[in-house]
Amino acid sequence: MNKNRKSIFSFVLIPIILATTVLSGCGNSASSDKMITTSEISDPGTTDVQKTTSEYTIPLNIYDRLVEAITVSPGKSELVPGLAESWEVSPDGLKYTFHIRKDVKFHNGEILKADDVLYTFDRMLDPATKALNTDFLDMIAGAKDRMDGKANSVSGIKVIDDNTIEITLAKAFAPFLANLATPAGSIYNRKATTEAGEQFGIDPQKTIGTGPFKMKSWALNDTVVLVSNPDYFQGAPKIDGVNIKIVPDAETNRIMFETGKLDIFNLSNSASQIPQFRDNEKWKNSIVSGPIVGLYYYALNEDIKPLDDVRIRKALQMSIDRQTLLDKLYYGEGQLVHGISPPGLLGYNPELPKIEYNPEKAKQLLTEAGYPNGFDMEIVQTTDSPNTLKINEAVQAMLQKVGVRVKITQIDESTYFATRQVGKLPSNQNEWSADYNDPDNFFYTFFSQKNSKVRSYNYNNLEVNAKLEKARTMVDQTERIKLYQEMEKTIAQEDAAWIPLFALNQLFVVQPRVKNFQVAWNGWSSMSYYGLEIVEAK
Amino acid sequence: MGHYIIRRLVISIPVTFGIALITFILLNVIPGDPVALMMKDHISADVVARVRAQMQLDDPAYIRFFRFIWNALHGDFGVSYKLNRSVSSLLMDAFPNTLILAISGALVSWIIGIPAGVLSAVKKRSFLDNSIMGFSLLGVSIPVFWAGLLFQYIFAFWLGILPVSGFDGPEYLIMPAIVLGWSSAGTISRLTRSSLLEVMRNDYIRTARAKGNLELKVVINHALKNAMLPVVTVMALQVAGLLSGAVITETVFGIPGIGRIAVNAIQNRDMPLLQGAVMFTTVLVILGNLVADVLYSLLDPRIKYD
Repeated sequence: MNKNRKSIFSFVLIPIILATTVLSGCGNSASSDKMITTSEISDPGTTDVQKTTSEYTIPLNIYDRLVEAITVSPGKSELVPGLAESWEVSPDGLKYTFHIRKDVKFHNGEILKADDVLYTFDRMLDPATKALNTDFLDMIAGAKDRMDGKANSVSGIKVIDDNTIEITLAKAFAPFLANLATPAGSIYNRKATTEAGEQFGIDPQKTIGTGPFKMKSWALNDTVVLVSNPDYFQGAPKIDGVNIKIVPDAETNRIMFETGKLDIFNLSNSASQIPQFRDNEKWKNSIVSGPIVGLYYYALNEDIKPLDDVRIRKALQMSIDRQTLLDKLYYGEGQLVHGISPPGLLGYNPELPKIEYNPEKAKQLLTEAGYPNGFDMEIVQTTDSPNTLKINEAVQAMLQKVGVRVKITQIDESTYFATRQVGKLPSNQNEWSADYNDPDNFFYTFFSQKNSKVRSYNYNNLEVNAKLEKARTMVDQTERIKLYQEMEKTIAQEDAAWIPLFALNQLFVVQPRVKNFQVAWNGWSSMSYYGLEIVEAK
Repeated sequence: MGHYIIRRLVISIPVTFGIALITFILLNVIPGDPVALMMKDHISADVVARVRAQMQLDDPAYIRFFRFIWNALHGDFGVSYKLNRSVSSLLMDAFPNTLILAISGALVSWIIGIPAGVLSAVKKRSFLDNSIMGFSLLGVSIPVFWAGLLFQYIFAFWLGILPVSGFDGPEYLIMPAIVLGWSSAGTISRLTRSSLLEVMRNDYIRTARAKGNLELKVVINHALKNAMLPVVTVMALQVAGLLSGAVITETVFGIPGIGRIAVNAIQNRDMPLLQGAVMFTTVLVILGNLVADVLYSLLDPRIKYD
């Protein structure tokens, strides 16, 4: 019997042990040589920036834009020539003439021409593309007709010669250049993109740009491999390429980083782990942080009573101890924002009066508004967002002190966005970081009449709306900034249309072998890896 | 037998249609707009309205349903909203990964579960029996995501002998297969044990022993074959279930399989992809059931299908 037991055990266990021992030898396939390995939470699905409004990591590395927004110092950006070596703007701000570089080659060897720019922008506005990012170009003359299928081309875009293109706007749009520097302004090759058809942005071999990296392979939901482009017009990258792993689980991400399988770990996604890395001898010098041009805020839906009363909204602003939230939940990594513009944004006003934490005054305001005993309020968030739940619970406790009884409702992301776009989403905590460095990207995005509805603020100040429309078209930058600063006081403080919280620093932990890593000015984790270097092979 | 299989396959047609209809209704009843979800924070009312029209999402529901059925009958399951690829190719690309994971998980569960069940039955009410049953109870009770993280911590982080996540070679399969296999090994071992104990009480076992056969031979040759009937049924259904995607295991270990695709499709209200994934798994489960029934009759000649 003893012998039998032995044989069964050997039958079961020996193969498992053998397999584990033999195969474990192959387990350490860490980032090799001069490849950087990073991770994304979900597969981007496409790298065609005309068909996505987020997940820009790959586009920022394989395409270029006419103008580029570069990070000049932490949290500061500058617009510099990209594929256009220079440009002129007419005094009325309507006509932009771009001079295209002569030495730029696409990954397929084609030379960049003005016609490629015309093709790219026309493709975005062509209804057949079903593009999602048309907002970035719809100010061009004739764009609307093209989008509505009333024209076969965009009247405002003209090729002057192979290296000159002229773009005329329907009306002046001050942030136009900054707009072109967003990923949505990426330039495609007419020949390659036409030939690729629906496979453009999907098939690595058919996805052609001019950028410092080329797509090599794409295993869906697993890994995307980018390799360096030796012909890049600004010089070949100093790394061989980038492996982008798709790792949905946050904890798995952390273990991968700590075991050397990832080169970069975005700590801001898991704020609770900040002390763990900051107090760790091994990692504390590998944390790279930088301010971002963005902020956390609470959106208030004015269609839901009693939030239609400005006194109530002001009382809510005063009831939240934002400094404590920042210190306790985010370890003090950031600074308070009192209006709409975060530090680093064009026109940021450091002199803006502060929103004070004053629960006593808040109670007075509630009494004045007819709610001496407070009221019931709903805060909505998406399920599976533990960080949002933490801040919501802290705010729930703070508001309780002034008598506001908060109910936190968790709904799935799809329901959340569907309810929000019809203006019916209750108050919620959210964050926003700049697409382009211009106040328009914050003010118009949230508080213009049409956007205020689809974002469920339902803020209806017609005077402000008229000013927002006017500010977009102003050519005199000084006057324009003055107008924005004036509006900031009205919207965020007099009308208390939202509760600004803070601009957080973005924290990354980076393996010591990776050099020159810097947080992008806008704080996006989607960034260009062009400047990175590897100092020692593992 | 041939007639039986054909009849079962014919019956599966209305079943498949019914499931397609139920999935479609559910997807249309739950709130959510795929275009709003694609745009998320960059929402623009004009763009949403235009793109919804371009994607024919504003057509009446019955027209969209019959369009889906018509296209599906022509082998076209549409294009995923989020992943921009044809649904058929997405499922076909993910299926081999799920298949490999399912087979490995199933093998681990059989290799652990069946011998453990046999040992438990042979040594019933002993310390060994209690330990094995305790271990299988643990396997059934521990949530897969927790077991997954525990394994990652021990074998990848602490010992550093296995890769944490991904699907780049056989070594990437060890942890997910064990985690997945362990949870169903519990069920298999408990079923094997109870079934074997039942069979061991039969007269022919006493006869086999009386003939002087070794106990191992009695158990393996005489008892186990008959005790395996209910176990085989569970095994076949288990494989069919695993083929529909071990969602949590695939997520924790970053395996690009059917389960992850289906869950992402639900989250993104990616209707074509979800419809396709549900149809695909429906067919697998129907086939799994059929295989179980056929195996049943092969193992037990008393069972005949007309």
